[in-house]
Amino acid sequence: MTTGKRSGNKSRNHAYGEKDGVKPKAGTSSGKVPIKAISREGSMKKELAETPVIPHEGARDQKGTTGRPFWSGSITIGLVNVPVRLHTMVRDKSLSFRLLHKEDGQPLRYDRVCTKDDRVIPWTETVKGYEVRKGEYVIIEPDELKSIMPESSRKIRIEKFVYYLSLDPVYFETPYILTPDRSEEAYSLLVAALQELGRAAIGTITLRTKEYPVVVHVYGGGLVLTTLRYADEVTPPHVFESLAGLPVPKEAELQLAKRIITDLSGDFSMTDYHDRYREAVLSLIEKKLMGKKIVYEEPRPVEAKELMQALKDTLSSLSAK
Amino acid sequence: MAGSNGKGAKQISMSDLTRVRFTNLDKIMYPPLRITKKDVITYYIRMAPFMLPLLSNRPVTMHRFPDGINGENFYEKDAPQGTPDYVTQFTYYSESADREVHFVVCNNLDTLIWLANLASLEIHITLGTIRSYDSPDFLLFDIDPEPPLSFDNVIEVSRIIREHLENSGIQSYVKTSGKKGLHIVVPLKPGYRFGEIRDFSHGIGKNVAKDTPLVVSEFPHSRDPGTIFIDFLQNAEGKTMAAPYSLRGTPGATVSTPLLWDELKSGVRAEDFNIKTVILRKEEPWRGIFDNRQTIGK
Repeated sequence: MTTGKRSGNKSRNHAYGEKDGVKPKAGTSSGKVPIKAISREGSMKKELAETPVIPHEGARDQKGTTGRPFWSGSITIGLVNVPVRLHTMVRDKSLSFRLLHKEDGQPLRYDRVCTKDDRVIPWTETVKGYEVRKGEYVIIEPDELKSIMPESSRKIRIEKFVYYLSLDPVYFETPYILTPDRSEEAYSLLVAALQELGRAAIGTITLRTKEYPVVVHVYGGGLVLTTLRYADEVTPPHVFESLAGLPVPKEAELQLAKRIITDLSGDFSMTDYHDRYREAVLSLIEKKLMGKKIVYEEPRPVEAKELMQALKDTLSSLSAK
Repeated sequence: MAGSNGKGAKQISMSDLTRVRFTNLDKIMYPPLRITKKDVITYYIRMAPFMLPLLSNRPVTMHRFPDGINGENFYEKDAPQGTPDYVTQFTYYSESADREVHFVVCNNLDTLIWLANLASLEIHITLGTIRSYDSPDFLLFDIDPEPPLSFDNVIEVSRIIREHLENSGIQSYVKTSGKKGLHIVVPLKPGYRFGEIRDFSHGIGKNVAKDTPLVVSEFPHSRDPGTIFIDFLQNAEGKTMAAPYSLRGTPGATVSTPLLWDELKSGVRAEDFNIKTVILRKEEPWRGIFDNRQTIGK
């Protein structure tokens, strides 16, 4: 029914920081141009260079790990409650670009356009549909969805304990950090007990509108909750026919392969790996901002004339004061 | 060129006049009147001689309308990324936000132009300056009518407040809020605390409410229909008011306009003071306001 989606990135938080202000444009020539200005204090002309804005990721990074909890509730084991807060643990650091109008460098906006008459449809005139067959939708009202949404009980209900290493990592989805919510003693007890037994707790949590199976385990001095995928969300490899009739390897080849693997065995550290593409893009952006002139729109002659007249009048009136 | 005595050298260019670089000058800011950002910038340039002395050393809150008054708009206290060097900044730890806020301070023409270019149609200022942020040198009575009351009623009440102040030997200044009400401002001698001026303005409100049925002095009644609440609560740290001569994001491009008390006659309308008319005014009603600082409470 609808095409396109609303851009989640409100322009205020955009990498260049602002929508209407100073912003670099694509496809500019190089060479920084000092901007001449009249000092308001005296009449000396000063040369100032505009400092380009280096994109920094502060705004996005700060939100992630140490910010406010996005959920609080308690871990419930039988009759015992341990109040906790849930914090984001991982964040996607891939870079995103804003789509601009090539001609004037202005950001584009997504609209919801009706596929039948190409009209832009306001939110108030939209409804949700589930596609049952190509081009056929069942319309679902918000109230209908609401009535069947899982209730958010603010609880992480623990059902059983298992050996953490027995869990199958393909089901692991997103980890979150659990911190005590004025429950340091109970929290610490849980950490110590799980650690000594090498076990993790399995249970459920409701986040927003979805109920997830979760595992809670001890990690880095605290508890980490990881949401798990449902079994039917994971494709088992054996569905691929090519895996069914694999030939049995010859003994000599197997010995050779095992030797190679043994030779290459060792420890690895995640910090050895970097997103090199991302780093390259960031350095490209930095270079563009450093080395290139930031181009501003030159006022059209008529506009310029009016602005300059106003400026001349005001400057002379200010200096007369 | 030959013989023309260097024509190129004579010609003044935009960058000789301002350090601000303009963007989107032809963007419509006020669709009903087809007022563009160039018009807004021109307005602020022309008003600068009146406005700058009143904005001096006061932290600014921007109210930005990047897509004009019908588009998304937002308040911004922090100097945005890329704020140029000619803009004075003031850093203050905000308790409510639990972080440092880097305010813009509009101390020169270029800053004012830059604000206009950011589509900060509205410019709001605090009641204290950067030299004494926690000690106000403006006391504000913010008076707004609840329907069905009109601007005439606001004028009537403002005159009563003025009278009460004068009876205590206090001179006051008035401006339209640019919306439905009026702001009465008393410039203060240094050293007052917000608590003191809040109590003082509350006291005046109570006295006025006693003899004036239209007026309510207590917050719980502030939205009662057919009343005017004398908002003393605006006298608090971090609160702001529309700056004198600030445009407002209204369909009529109204201006928060300083007026002479004599101009406030029944029949005057708030909409009369807008981007087109204010620029033509000869009066400078708040001239010398800082040479006329008042003592309140004895």
